[in-house]
Amino acid sequence: MSSGRQRRRVVPDYMAAARVSVPEHITVERTTLVYVAPDVVADGLDPPASHLLTLLADGPLSVYECAAHLGLPYCVVRLLVAGLAAGGTLLTRDPPPADLPDLEILELVISGLRAL
Amino acid sequence: MAFARSDGRISADHVPVKLVIAGPFGVGKTTIVNALSEIEPLNTEEVLTQAGTLVDDLTGVNEKTTTTTAIDFGRLTLPGVVLYLFGAPGQTRFQVLWDELVRGALGVLVLADTRRIDDSFAVLDLVENAGIRYAVAVNHFPDSPQYPSDALRKALDLDPRTPLLVCDARDPVSARASLIALVEHIRELVLS
Repeated sequence: MSSGRQRRRVVPDYMAAARVSVPEHITVERTTLVYVAPDVVADGLDPPASHLLTLLADGPLSVYECAAHLGLPYCVVRLLVAGLAAGGTLLTRDPPPADLPDLEILELVISGLRAL
Repeated sequence: MAFARSDGRISADHVPVKLVIAGPFGVGKTTIVNALSEIEPLNTEEVLTQAGTLVDDLTGVNEKTTTTTAIDFGRLTLPGVVLYLFGAPGQTRFQVLWDELVRGALGVLVLADTRRIDDSFAVLDLVENAGIRYAVAVNHFPDSPQYPSDALRKALDLDPRTPLLVCDARDPVSARASLIALVEHIRELVLS
């Protein structure tokens, strides 16, 4: 486990999402799964973005986990992810709408928990 | 390196599913999340701008304009789905954070403690107001008084269909049984 919170930052947290603009159709929340788009060239990214891509090299993670691993506040990482998703560097998978849950997903959860 | 992680089990095909564990202070939310989670506890800061200003006395720290709280977070990767568990503080002063945490959640497991049953009322109000599906699990402490479930239901004013379980938050098997009961209840509500 590593948390950047213990280290003293020279650059303030909000700078991690500086110059990020997010189109309105991009929704990102805590449990949105994030992964790197295929064939992405990670050159020329700001340090927080390149740290995020390094972190995601092992596979998808939720936005919340990304925030914890990077030691940045969730609200900052949410913007960072949304900006990179808008630019096509990252792909995201939102949780399905919960107002009418999909039976298939409920069955997967029940059988998965039973099998543990 | 600083951002090393020890897992890579999730694939892009996994559907993220959010479940919230709610309850009053000290009821065992952290314990149950840790019992269920496959990952080490993670820490992030939640920035509360207004919610805590009346409670968290900032006298003498004039520069401080926000207050932060930690929320419990756990993950459980199952075939096809990845469960994310959030422990939500049950005090009404966390209403803003609460609204955000339960948005998109499949359901809420409300933890209660029979030694302080009235502490659970605020949480049940939050859950009812959010209109979210839930089950109640009584976390059994060694010195907890035992009440018949009818009496507990009456005390908590539960709907007859709402599951009321007894669990041991420290025990992963018992904790998982509570989650299964919650999701089975959600399935029943969807089917009805």
